[in-house]
Amino acid sequence: MSTAMNFGTKSFKPRAPDKGSFPLDHFGECKAFKEKFMKCLRDNSFDSSRCRLQSKDYLECRMDNQLMTKEPLEKLGFKDLMDPPPGPADGDTKP
Amino acid sequence: MLLPVMLRPSLCCPLQASLLLTRCGAPRTPQAQFEGFLRRRLPPGLHLQIRTRRTRSHQEEWRSHQEERRSHQEEWRSHQEEWRSRNKTVLTYITAAGVGMIGLSYAAVPLYRLYCQASGLGGTAVSGHDAEQVETMTAVKERVIKVTFNADTHASIQWNFRPQQTEIFVVPGETALAFYRAKNPTDKPIIGISTYNVVPFEAGQYFNKIQCFCFEEQRLNPHEEVDMPVFFYIDPEFDEDPRMARVDTITLSYTFFEAKEGQQLPLPGYAYN
Repeated sequence: MSTAMNFGTKSFKPRAPDKGSFPLDHFGECKAFKEKFMKCLRDNSFDSSRCRLQSKDYLECRMDNQLMTKEPLEKLGFKDLMDPPPGPADGDTKP
Repeated sequence: MLLPVMLRPSLCCPLQASLLLTRCGAPRTPQAQFEGFLRRRLPPGLHLQIRTRRTRSHQEEWRSHQEERRSHQEEWRSHQEEWRSRNKTVLTYITAAGVGMIGLSYAAVPLYRLYCQASGLGGTAVSGHDAEQVETMTAVKERVIKVTFNADTHASIQWNFRPQQTEIFVVPGETALAFYRAKNPTDKPIIGISTYNVVPFEAGQYFNKIQCFCFEEQRLNPHEEVDMPVFFYIDPEFDEDPRMARVDTITLSYTFFEAKEGQQLPLPGYAYN
């Protein structure tokens, strides 16, 4: 597509990924998580918003198995899926 | 130059002209004969006086003409020198301009790159584009975009490469995951390297990949099959761009090539960072 000789039209410029490349999962350690994710997608007619939990699980699996650099999940856009931080100790409890 | 000198005496004094002719060795004309007759008739002293007076005035005239000519020549020489010096300055200026242009064309490359990075022109990676945005962006839930996946292989690579889902519905500002699968059916390990393409082109600058499997060599052992994930998101500013108002489908297309030993692929973006 970038060989179209139209002068003045912008051609596509591929950009490197922000965090680099995923190492290949040669041993299929996270295959189970992937299957869960794919099943979720198929069930929800490929709506990505509904399968974010499964994608979070898959990425956590990758991080656990040295297939991805460990990063806090907020940086990967999963802020809304995180457990809320524990609130202050109950001050309402009556002795 | 001699012609006007000769004409003038002939106009005012025919005798002088005849004298000149005799001096230059002209053949005996009737005038010369008359002159000889005069010489015989007039007393010899008077004749000599007249003759010397005439020659003296001739010589003076001739000298003044010569001086005129010399002054003309000097003037001309000074003109020439002036011209020469002017030419030299002009030539210097032109050479300086030429060298300046060459230098400018060399300097233009890094300057333009800086300008493009600052302004994000032509879809180049804006240097201010950072990963912090992923943390703070909010999803634009109203705008649903369909992302279709395409997989290609170059003719020389024998992998089976295909996406695991044909399409996925995302919203800008939300990260999404997608999978491709590659299988090496041969008996020898093959190293592949891939690049990607996003259609439409203008949407490509909003398509940010957090992590994928492109631009790095991936090695597949014989009869091995792997899942290759792509983790991406669409910039929330996509919704605000008027040019993207009618864009509902984005196609992500990956192509795998065989990586040969020692082959250096031009990796986009790495050279600049």
